[in-house]
Amino acid sequence: MVVSDLFSCNSPSMSGDVQGNSDQVILVTGGYDHTIKLWQAHTGVCQRTAQHTDSQVNALDITPDKQLIAAAGYQHIRMYDLSSSNPNPVINYEGVSKNVTGVGFQEEGKWMYTGGEDCSARIWDLRSRNLQCQRIFQVSAPVNCVCLHPNQAELVVGDQSGVIHLWDLKTDHNEQLIPEAEASIQDIAMDPEGSYMAAVNNRGHCYIWSLTGGVAEEPTKLNPKHKIEAHQRCALKCKFSPDSTLLVTTSADQTARVWKTSDFTLLQELKHEAQRWVWDAAFSADSQYILTGVSCTTLFVVI
Amino acid sequence: MALYDNKHWLLSHIRNSFISSDDTGMCEMVMAGEDIPRKLISMTKLDYYPGVDESDEEDGEMDVMGQSFDIQSDIDFGIHRQRSSTAQRLEKMDQDRKKTNRIKHVKWEWNPVVLTDEERAGLFERKNFRQNRKDVHVKKLSLLSEQMEKCPNLPQNPFVEYAKYDGNAQMGVSTRKYGIFLTMLETAERNYPMHVVVLAQAKVQDLIGLICWKYTLEHGQHKLKDSVDHYGLYIAEDDGEVDWDFPCLDPRETVGKFGFNYLALVECQKKDEDSKSVEREETEVILSQETLLKPKSQQQDLEDLIRMQGHMIAMEAPLYQSYRVYIINKVRAKTEIHLGVSGEKVEIDPVMQQKVSAKFWNRQKAVSYDMDSIAACDLTDTKSSSRSTFRLVYHHPASGEQAESLQHHSDFSSYKHHDFEADHRTAEEIVQKINHILELRSSVRRKEYLALRERKSHRKRSFHLGPR
Repeated sequence: MVVSDLFSCNSPSMSGDVQGNSDQVILVTGGYDHTIKLWQAHTGVCQRTAQHTDSQVNALDITPDKQLIAAAGYQHIRMYDLSSSNPNPVINYEGVSKNVTGVGFQEEGKWMYTGGEDCSARIWDLRSRNLQCQRIFQVSAPVNCVCLHPNQAELVVGDQSGVIHLWDLKTDHNEQLIPEAEASIQDIAMDPEGSYMAAVNNRGHCYIWSLTGGVAEEPTKLNPKHKIEAHQRCALKCKFSPDSTLLVTTSADQTARVWKTSDFTLLQELKHEAQRWVWDAAFSADSQYILTGVSCTTLFVVI
Repeated sequence: MALYDNKHWLLSHIRNSFISSDDTGMCEMVMAGEDIPRKLISMTKLDYYPGVDESDEEDGEMDVMGQSFDIQSDIDFGIHRQRSSTAQRLEKMDQDRKKTNRIKHVKWEWNPVVLTDEERAGLFERKNFRQNRKDVHVKKLSLLSEQMEKCPNLPQNPFVEYAKYDGNAQMGVSTRKYGIFLTMLETAERNYPMHVVVLAQAKVQDLIGLICWKYTLEHGQHKLKDSVDHYGLYIAEDDGEVDWDFPCLDPRETVGKFGFNYLALVECQKKDEDSKSVEREETEVILSQETLLKPKSQQQDLEDLIRMQGHMIAMEAPLYQSYRVYIINKVRAKTEIHLGVSGEKVEIDPVMQQKVSAKFWNRQKAVSYDMDSIAACDLTDTKSSSRSTFRLVYHHPASGEQAESLQHHSDFSSYKHHDFEADHRTAEEIVQKINHILELRSSVRRKEYLALRERKSHRKRSFHLGPR
């Protein structure tokens, strides 16, 4: 299977991860029904269902080599084979005491990063023979989200107490910032060009930082840039488009909003009458389409 | 982390969890009487939330007041529990163990070995992500955009509705797996079957649709006709050879009924299409001929259909089936009975009478005859009142020594019969079914009986002819 483009989105009730192979684009979703489903993205035909026993799916990602789907659930991260029709996982990562809330991969597939409600972010060595780069980063509150800087060496961790931690994986140096007191950080995103970082919280606010440095020995500097009152209610996810021109935020107020990164003004509100919580969103590789995961349904939205 | 967007659902789930996990029953006593979700709604009008009154999907399925989702027990409380729960649990554990054996487990391990700076630099090297930025800006159409743009212009795939029967996309429902040979492909491609997993409850027609859907995904649409009616499924060998001796599977049957591993998709020869072209040529010549031709071709189709159905019935004949018919006993009284016919035997069971008012001679004892002792089954009379009678002849070994000697003579006296009455269709079906079975088995008794009958009719005929 040759995969030509990938973009991911996850959410508990309905989540998506989209990837394409040579002749089709597949959307992967997981949620509260203990299954992971693979959809043909342009027709919405369900192609496969894999079983995710014991718990809901909190987060999904696809390995850089497009061979495996990683699903984070309660106490486990399970890997499913993308190319076969095996409904059971092939690898099971365990030893975490609580829910794993976020999962992602270093771009060469050397290691995997996760964040969990056990107040820690972890680096898992994917080369199982020598577990030399197992790392753990403890914080004081349950971790809601983890995000890897495009330089592949700094991990941003957002926790329930509202603290954002910038963890330098090479030096173990870390930095904290609190954009808003007592507001749980729900999601953090960085654009692929490494120029912006966005974080959304449970009050529906979205904070934007511009990033400098981050190359070679120079540490990344965060410069506060914007605060958007993005949603009336709890925000759930934020994501930059692959071309870095757009930012989408999704929320419990049953909308998704698209913002221009040039001035962070609202470009479009994606709303549907029958729509419920918008759990997640994903861009197509050319930033022309957004897929949103809504409770019970998926919607297609054209920008 | 429990995120769910329906407050009332959550509330009732929590309440139910309390009630069901509390052995003392205290929680139930305290909580069962209250109707919290309703109360909440009336109290907090402002914080209106969809879920209680609105008839959205979830609320249709469950009563928000009463239940949360089913709390599943470890033991399956089936209606038919043949084995002990321990055995079941052991088996389940065994299955789980087998399943997990195939999964590679990686446990989190804290590695106390301190990485050298070099190693660390290698693993967590900072990538110069700003370098490649130029390339990103080249506008490229993504695959999804490409497909989305193509999609509305494409003619709708007529088989798309059948995609839902794909067993791969489902979990926890019974499915059937088939290797399908596609006879319309080029010889080189035809050698390998296409593997199709279909829901067991789908119809054969749906399976054909699903195969066509998969075919169009792999080979493009242009080669296929636009409807499942043009195709039939035949039984095939594992090397792809179509078994033409059997007719194609009845499109209205459920897939779960058949146990074949390999099937072949064959384009049916549509006779009316051929005749149409002929018609067009001939319309100008003679009109009357066309009118003659058309019914003929239709008749041909009809005949084919009837023959096909006949084959189908023949194939299914040995399957057990029970009919409700009347048995006519010697005093011409009718008693309702169950007539069970299978490849092995014919069973007669009395239908339980509601009252015991049934007179004693009406009582029919439950009997069963081995199929080998059945000699014949024929329709005897077709009444105008849409009811038919039929006769089942069976061999009855007479008792005693006398019988033994009789058996050698194989007289008619060793054959007895039952008369039944049922409506036309049932009667015909039973007679047909039994005769198919008899043909298949060709037992000694039947041959003997047929020979006897032949001789008898011969005798009769000669008798009739004699005086003339």
